[in-house]
Amino acid sequence: MINILGIESSCDETSAAVIQNGKCLSNIIAEQKIHELYGGVVPELASRAHQQNIVPVVDAALKKANIDKTELSAIAFTKGPGLMGSLLVGTSFAKGFSLGLNIPLIEVNHMQAHILAHFIDKHNDSVPTFPFLCLTVSGGHTQIVLIKDYFKMEVIGETTDDAAGEAFDKAAKILGLPYPGGPLIDKYAKEGNAAAFSFPKISVPELNYSFSGLKTAFLYFIKDAIKKDANFIEKNLADICASYQKAIVTTLLIKLEKAMEQRGINQIAVAGGVSANSGLRNALLQLENTKKAKVFLPPFEYCTDNAAMIAITGYYKFLQNDFTTQRVTATARWNL
Amino acid sequence: MSTTKEIQVDSLHDLEQAAQELLDFSNGMKVILFYGEMGSGKTTFIKAICKALGVKENTSSPTFSIVNEYLSDTNNVIYHFDFYRLKNEQEAYDMGCEEYFYSGNYCFIEWPEKTPSLIPEQAVSVSIEVLENEKRVFRFLY
Repeated sequence: MINILGIESSCDETSAAVIQNGKCLSNIIAEQKIHELYGGVVPELASRAHQQNIVPVVDAALKKANIDKTELSAIAFTKGPGLMGSLLVGTSFAKGFSLGLNIPLIEVNHMQAHILAHFIDKHNDSVPTFPFLCLTVSGGHTQIVLIKDYFKMEVIGETTDDAAGEAFDKAAKILGLPYPGGPLIDKYAKEGNAAAFSFPKISVPELNYSFSGLKTAFLYFIKDAIKKDANFIEKNLADICASYQKAIVTTLLIKLEKAMEQRGINQIAVAGGVSANSGLRNALLQLENTKKAKVFLPPFEYCTDNAAMIAITGYYKFLQNDFTTQRVTATARWNL
Repeated sequence: MSTTKEIQVDSLHDLEQAAQELLDFSNGMKVILFYGEMGSGKTTFIKAICKALGVKENTSSPTFSIVNEYLSDTNNVIYHFDFYRLKNEQEAYDMGCEEYFYSGNYCFIEWPEKTPSLIPEQAVSVSIEVLENEKRVFRFLY
């Protein structure tokens, strides 16, 4: 039995998970903030909160997995990228725990872990085979990654300014919805006509993205419309949300399809919190229905920041004897 | 005594020049504050300044991450903050913002109005006023 404890504290969430031979036994996120997040509450991002959470979260993960700490094979932690103060909490805890238990320590790249989350609980027929492409879309990231092997990854496209999730959240703010309001845009969009308004599809070179211009175009569109009709937002909320969501999703898909064509790859994995967006899901299903691609969407709890993805990455590193030492330190910048 | 400078930017192409003018204006001060409404171009201007400082890697919005770190071609660290989603100053304290502000490295700060009492006295302010389309007025002050 290989039991890996995973620890994640790179940004807002403090999380711990136990993976046994690739199977997730527990995945605890402090106070289960995901639900709050989707209700539109701004999460705490204090490293102090991580300090308060880390011991209870690890304890809860071990208990839920019904694993004693002495049964752990190794400890995997997020070394970066992320917020330094937050990363240090998880890193220090992992180092101390590994020293105390005298078991190996495994450093994990958070962005790599988002992708390897696809291998949690999976058997060989339900996972993408190498090489595949992953669209990682969240509040902080928008990337297209080419995955040649578990640890051979290359970013082939990324945002040059705002992340896709940020484009949703900021538009929600412009509409007077609570921040982060991306999920609310999705909710209203379901009732709206996506062809009601048109927004520019900002085009940048290669496989890169830009969402800052779209956000600004949206801001001025709303400002102008309100000048003519003070109740414009209230009257058209669903149509505005549907049209704006379509602009983001279309932009995401254009570059994704371009990447598929360029690389001759038709297996698409999706990671990050924006993968919950129904517009994006429908567009990806459309790709699958038209036989253009095979799409892999992990369960939502493995899409947002979580420790199970850190533990599964740790598991594959464990199989390769890829361990780090007590000299390791957190790093805010860490490219794939 | 305060020192000010005002420049008009007519399009994205003028940003390279504006970035150089700001760096010259800053007189060695490393903490630079950016004021302007959403969509006024704070992140875009900071990208131009990073480029002028020799940052080769991608510079993107830190709204979610709160702070991005970049490395210039002379291996100097540059911090790019966005306090947009902070709820209060305590959160900025808790993330250790003072360590960054007094590190001696460049700190570019978007939405500094969220943490008014934490901003070092030795700082340059940049206010961006939107005129129309791509036209902006930049006001530098220290």
